[in-house]
Amino acid sequence: MPVPDLVALRRTFLAAGTANPFVDRTILELADHFEDLVDAGCADGLKRSDAEQRALATLGELDVLEQAVRRQPALKSWAWNWPRVASVFYPLAWLVALPMLPVAAGVAHAPEIARWAGGIVLAAFVTATMFLVLQLSIASA
Amino acid sequence: MAQSNPPFMSGVPELLLLRLLDDREMYGYELVRSIRQVTGEAISLGEGVIYPVLHALERNGALKSRRKDVGGRTRVYYTVTAKGRGRLERLADEWRRVQSGIDTALAGAASAGA
Repeated sequence: MPVPDLVALRRTFLAAGTANPFVDRTILELADHFEDLVDAGCADGLKRSDAEQRALATLGELDVLEQAVRRQPALKSWAWNWPRVASVFYPLAWLVALPMLPVAAGVAHAPEIARWAGGIVLAAFVTATMFLVLQLSIASA
Repeated sequence: MAQSNPPFMSGVPELLLLRLLDDREMYGYELVRSIRQVTGEAISLGEGVIYPVLHALERNGALKSRRKDVGGRTRVYYTVTAKGRGRLERLADEWRRVQSGIDTALAGAASAGA
């Protein structure tokens, strides 16, 4: 079935140095545009498969879209614009981020961790109370 | 000194998009249809190519967008900002200047040929 190859489009846009948010937006809008074109084709009396074929041709070839993206320097990612800065920044960012991952995981699972902590505190309290009662009963005997 | 006109060709899609969006908010498919309509089908694009232009205009502050759910689909609607109106005026002036120059040249060539 002819549908836009969104994976190939994404790969092409990223290879052209386009920043991720713009790639996502472009893919979303192209997919929506394709659906509109197919609907229009069906409304013109075409079979869905023919409407899809026509919609693909109308949307533009992959290399045409790639050229259109390449012509827009404003859409390039900063790593594409400053590759040397990126090659220094990314390793440093990972060095900072890696120790933070357990903390982030803790924050992400805060309710479970709070439940476990509550359970442990309650168990410690019950045990301490039992020991206290035992101690008092021995002392009074 | 003669002014240069770098936006002469590359600015045409921008000019059309800004002009149409100056009237009302639209999304990509609607814009392409409007371009066809207002230019009498003289300009037809590979329709997907308008999105990089729209995104670049938004990145430069000439447009702003908002997402809207319509019939189970997420559509991105664009409108012109004040900065975009300024850009539209500059591009339109540039276009008129170039058009007038070409008209003059064509008239001159016609009279020289007569």
